[in-house]
Amino acid sequence: MLNIPYSPTWCPGCGNFAIWAALKKGLVDTGYPAEKICIFYDVGCSGNMSSFNNYYGFHTLHGRALPTAVGAKLVNHELKVIVIIGDGGCYGEGGTHFINLMRGNHDVTILVHNNHRYSLTTGQTSPTTDRGVKTKSTPEGVIEEPINPIAIAISNHGSFIAREFAPDISRLSARITQAVNHLGFALIDILQPCPVFNPQQSHQWYRERLVNLEDEGHSPDNREAAWKQAMRAEKLPIGLFFEEQKPAYHQQVNELAEGPLVRRSIDTIDLTSIIKEFK
Amino acid sequence: MLAKQSFVWKVAGAAGEGIMTTGLLFSKTCARHGLYIFDYTEYPSLIRGGHNTYQVHTATDPVFAQKNTVDLLIALNKEGIELHLKELSTDSLLVFDTEHQKIEPEKYNLKAKLLDLPMIRLAKESGGEEVMANNVALGASVYLAGLDLTVLNQIITEVFIDKGPKIINLNQQAAQRGYEFVKSKYQPLFTAIKQETSHLTMTGNEAIALGALAGGLQFYAAYPMTPSSSILHFLAAKAREAKIVVKHAEDEISVVNMAIGASFAGARAMVGTSGGGFCYMVEALGLAGIAELPLVIVESQRAGPALGLPTWTAQGDLKFVINASHGEFPRIVLAPGDAKEAFELARLALILAEKYQIPVILLSDKYLSESRFNITLEATTFANNRFGLTTNPAPDQTGFFPRYKLADSPVSLRSTPGTTGGTYIANADEHDEYGLSNEDSNMRTAQVAKRQQKLKEALAEIPFQFWQEEPKAVLTFISFGSTKGPIQGARQTLAGEGIATCHLNLSWIWPFPKDQVQKIVTSYPNVLVVEGNNEGQLASLIAEQTGFMMENKLNRYDGSPFYPEEIVDYVKHSI
Repeated sequence: MLNIPYSPTWCPGCGNFAIWAALKKGLVDTGYPAEKICIFYDVGCSGNMSSFNNYYGFHTLHGRALPTAVGAKLVNHELKVIVIIGDGGCYGEGGTHFINLMRGNHDVTILVHNNHRYSLTTGQTSPTTDRGVKTKSTPEGVIEEPINPIAIAISNHGSFIAREFAPDISRLSARITQAVNHLGFALIDILQPCPVFNPQQSHQWYRERLVNLEDEGHSPDNREAAWKQAMRAEKLPIGLFFEEQKPAYHQQVNELAEGPLVRRSIDTIDLTSIIKEFK
Repeated sequence: MLAKQSFVWKVAGAAGEGIMTTGLLFSKTCARHGLYIFDYTEYPSLIRGGHNTYQVHTATDPVFAQKNTVDLLIALNKEGIELHLKELSTDSLLVFDTEHQKIEPEKYNLKAKLLDLPMIRLAKESGGEEVMANNVALGASVYLAGLDLTVLNQIITEVFIDKGPKIINLNQQAAQRGYEFVKSKYQPLFTAIKQETSHLTMTGNEAIALGALAGGLQFYAAYPMTPSSSILHFLAAKAREAKIVVKHAEDEISVVNMAIGASFAGARAMVGTSGGGFCYMVEALGLAGIAELPLVIVESQRAGPALGLPTWTAQGDLKFVINASHGEFPRIVLAPGDAKEAFELARLALILAEKYQIPVILLSDKYLSESRFNITLEATTFANNRFGLTTNPAPDQTGFFPRYKLADSPVSLRSTPGTTGGTYIANADEHDEYGLSNEDSNMRTAQVAKRQQKLKEALAEIPFQFWQEEPKAVLTFISFGSTKGPIQGARQTLAGEGIATCHLNLSWIWPFPKDQVQKIVTSYPNVLVVEGNNEGQLASLIAEQTGFMMENKLNRYDGSPFYPEEIVDYVKHSI
């Protein structure tokens, strides 16, 4: 058991409990030493998990867990870097980081707690809220179309793209292990019930729509098929949409070929050669 | 005839015509002769077609700033004359090319001497192309400045080494033709005696980049923004040799958060931007404050607000960088006044950031960042100590390491991810000793007090500020950052005319060197605060910190730096 001084503050029935359980098992199952796992938490209900895990962690600014994680990975690429973030942080406030991390295939595992609401701020619309839904900030109904993060990731060079359902803990924890072991950008968009601020999308609502990609005969090496699955409207496929093996960002940085940057000693810096051009 | 002690050279023409390279080659030729130099450039925010200038002020004695009047003006087009009429005196020589440009110098009623130099034709005759016309002008300039052509040729070889021997030869031949053409018609305007020198020349930005490397920089992130971009370019080019990682991220918000992530993981990290980009970084500045992570931010000012004058200088962000962010946390603000200070303070910034686990802002401006200075480095190898990092952290009964321990010292030991036993949370929320979110009133009060105490301890770091004193002074200048040079230049002139003055230039802005400033404003006569903004931000800061109102102010905020001549005029009229 992990010894933690704080207990979760989530509402009863919150999907975060399930994700938390799946995360703990999924990380242990990687077999990676705990001190080399580092979790970057965004702001939101999910981010409050920062005080409930016994791993090195950084509770960052809203939307910024993504670049903060990249900075740490670039200077110590022996770390396994996980981002815990919500749909607002990843697809709204941090949207530009989400898009650009994929382009670089940064070796970061992003777990999006997608409950289709801003729940820590008591239930406003988020980038994934369906059109027409009435929330506190959209009492006349949301005008925008919801973002499709899976389709975006498939179109934008994501190298590991999955969606899972929070309450399926064993399935999710296995996917987390797989994502952390994937070398490169890994996204798991986790559908998370929020019974308090989004009671419409209940467990039952999800159960009626979810289908497993494995049961649909989907092969994760087929980008076009993955995109078609991502665009389905009548059903919500879960599972691994797409995966490809390609070098991660840090593997392509020449300056990191000799090992993690933090191990390079700065005790003595010799500028003799570099200053020659200033003579 | 008495030899002139200083020589002011300028090349002016359209952007894209190689003005900057031409200026650099002339400046290096002067410096290689053992002369002092100060180079000042102007350019609009355009890729091509705008008006560019490069001025080299060179002398046998130290030079500190650009000058109003030029001795030799190379006009590569009509604007090169028309926009600089006021800079020509009866002693000036104007060089142009009537074969190439439809220039009618007689219509300007010029006092200056004229030299029609067929730059394009000579370049082509020497086997080169039109773009090598600048080398013809360079060769002519070298003759007129009394410099050695072999030195220019050597510098052409070094600067164009990557372009191969053919290009180097053509450039040298063009220079030779220019040199010979002028030699047959004119006497040199200046005499330079070649001397051995250990001086280097570099821009403020290059000095910042080198100082940061000396200070153990490991991770640099930036998003391009004039006038900070040349730090990014330089460090990116040297990343492999210096074994650092340089990241051009998608925006300034990503830049600063990446750097904070890098710092959290144990690297010395720095970012560079201008005022607009710094606006984006401000929330993260507070994050570095509350999470107690070292971070260096280079903020090279340009004239704001918003896009302002993108390629022009200003000192308008002084109060912004001192006060940026909501909430309270300690920071250090340093404002180098020349390349030497830029090198030293960039290095110090990285050291202080780690020592106190706080953000340090290095405040530059276009004038310092992109002007070129002489600089002498006492050493080329630099030793660094590490501060506050533990390699064998021990968790307590909670399983966490008390990273933010409340103890006698406000600077608590820091563990980094990957280290067994050091588990803690860096937290943007207020937190307890382990970094776990905590809203308890006593813990909040204690953690704020812990952080704020660091600023009090950092007061001991403040060195003596740049202070020049003359007996029987009639006026005391106070300035900060890059205004140091123009005031030094003005004081040279004033001293020559028997007007004694004193000068305090602040390179350490925050925590404010209150005692030093207070002593000067109360003990020295007729204080004049000179700064590149409208509101008199330094004057107001001095008043706030010392209780003494600063009544005499000289402000400039049109995008140009101060010129020594205007300061001299102001002083003569005010005393």
